[in-house]
Amino acid sequence: MDAPSYHIQSYCMIRDRTIAVNGTTFLKTNADLTLADFLKSAYRQLDIDYPKFHKMDSLCKAVLIAAELMDRTSGPYASDTALIFSNRSSSYLSDNKHATGIFDTENPTASPATFVYTLPNIALGEISIRHQLHSENVFFIFDRYLPEFLVPYTNAALDDKPIKSAIGGWVEIGEHTCDLLLYHIGKSGDIPHTVAELKRIYNEHE
Amino acid sequence: MKAEVFIAGDCIISPLGTGSRRNFEKLLLGETAISPIDDPALADHPIHAARIADNQWVGKIRNPQHYTRLETLFILAIQQLIDAHRIPVDERTLVLLSTTKGNVSLLHNPAAQFPPTRVHLSAMAHEIQRYFGFANQPITISNACISGALALSVARQLLQYNEAYDHALVIGGDEISKFIVSGFDAFQALSDGRCRPFDRDRNGLNLGEAIAAAYVSKNASDGAICIKAAGSSNDANHISGPSRTGEGLYRSICEAMRLADDPMLDFISAHGTATVYNDEMEAIALHRCGLSETPLHSLKAYYGHTLGASGLLETILGLHSLRTNQLIPSLGFQHPGTSKPLNVITQPLARPLKTFLKTASGFGGCNIAMVFEKV
Repeated sequence: MDAPSYHIQSYCMIRDRTIAVNGTTFLKTNADLTLADFLKSAYRQLDIDYPKFHKMDSLCKAVLIAAELMDRTSGPYASDTALIFSNRSSSYLSDNKHATGIFDTENPTASPATFVYTLPNIALGEISIRHQLHSENVFFIFDRYLPEFLVPYTNAALDDKPIKSAIGGWVEIGEHTCDLLLYHIGKSGDIPHTVAELKRIYNEHE
Repeated sequence: MKAEVFIAGDCIISPLGTGSRRNFEKLLLGETAISPIDDPALADHPIHAARIADNQWVGKIRNPQHYTRLETLFILAIQQLIDAHRIPVDERTLVLLSTTKGNVSLLHNPAAQFPPTRVHLSAMAHEIQRYFGFANQPITISNACISGALALSVARQLLQYNEAYDHALVIGGDEISKFIVSGFDAFQALSDGRCRPFDRDRNGLNLGEAIAAAYVSKNASDGAICIKAAGSSNDANHISGPSRTGEGLYRSICEAMRLADDPMLDFISAHGTATVYNDEMEAIALHRCGLSETPLHSLKAYYGHTLGASGLLETILGLHSLRTNQLIPSLGFQHPGTSKPLNVITQPLARPLKTFLKTASGFGGCNIAMVFEKV
């Protein structure tokens, strides 16, 4: 049993070609838009001037967009907001790009601009820069979204230190697919931070 | 009062040999695992690196053809710990795996002998779970070059706050592949010879391979070392360049020292990759913490940068320093080469040792500092 001493202050879901914050749609596009174009239109709709966005891989872009939207809802984030993320495929898209380049038989290449994104926690670095978060980061790899692990771990992290808030969740990116659920956890908010609530939120759009 | 958590056993598989005591003794003799390697499967030019030899792992586990090289090495290290400490594989035992890239050497590699899905870290975790029949799904951490130390910190927190677990196996490892070498090459981060941490003439890092494993327990058995505290902070500055002010590392150390009640430190096991900017950043952060005079080493000139293993590998060797009261010199250091002074250990020294600080920093701007103390 997890005691609901912490709450979900806001949450963001990106799935198919839809972005929703606290269940309210922020962007919904045609399903045949590529993931890259979809993320680009989300960036435009955010109406921010952050040229770094265009250098990022899709994992970082999706995380940056979700963090931006939650910041507008329950932010600004405290600088010690812990980042506790997870996915299945790590940084597979950038890994794939780097590996394709180095094993190219005609013209093998390796680019630092790609290689730097071959770590999943780079996404945590990107939002730390954007929101000036000097906090602990951890990126877990599981074969599926696992609130049974993340909820008690996050509660322990919040109990252990003076920190009062965390951003956590799941962000699985494929060539054309995005399955993201991130949430801003803290002392206020209406939804208790429990395994049951997170399962409900994660499954309600399936 | 939270339960204290201890490292009650450890194992290292490195090019210097299998077994942590053996590794420690070789460091005191000044042996290094780094040598010139000319292998077209890694790079089209010779590099200096430290690789685990085939005779250390080939054919040493059940159904060897079913497991990748890296999985086999993880399995060997776990088996050693299980045998040495009679650790059950039931639901009271947590398993944490730390790796930056796992089986990435298989990706698009024409020489790969495993299906492409095996490149996923969750697939590797599943294979390791299946080999031993662990009741718990292993928890995999991939957080750049702080992964190994971070996994220890996560294990400690899970044991402290969850009555369901008695102990944890924490295993860190990565292997050298064309994927990794080409990437660090593209960053021009590789040294042209054996690396020289904190030295004036340092010009980059060496890549290395190691598997480091720790048995973490709530019981303080003989020789156990207490994990006193951990602090971790992002630089919030740059995704690939170290902070010029050492901000994240400075904050990590301050937090770890505060949580450990500001102990006297007998030495610091630094990250010390021997790139120009990393070592400079560390010197600045330590200076800001008032730790410039504390004896310090980097072990990178013995093993190279072992990525997801490094934080754990270097911690385990630090534990052996505490147990035997012997400081390991920082190989490769001759001339001071940072804008803030450091007290780099240049000779093996025997003196009473009780407490040390381990630090690590990585891509993405992440940093961690941990304090360890003899019981």
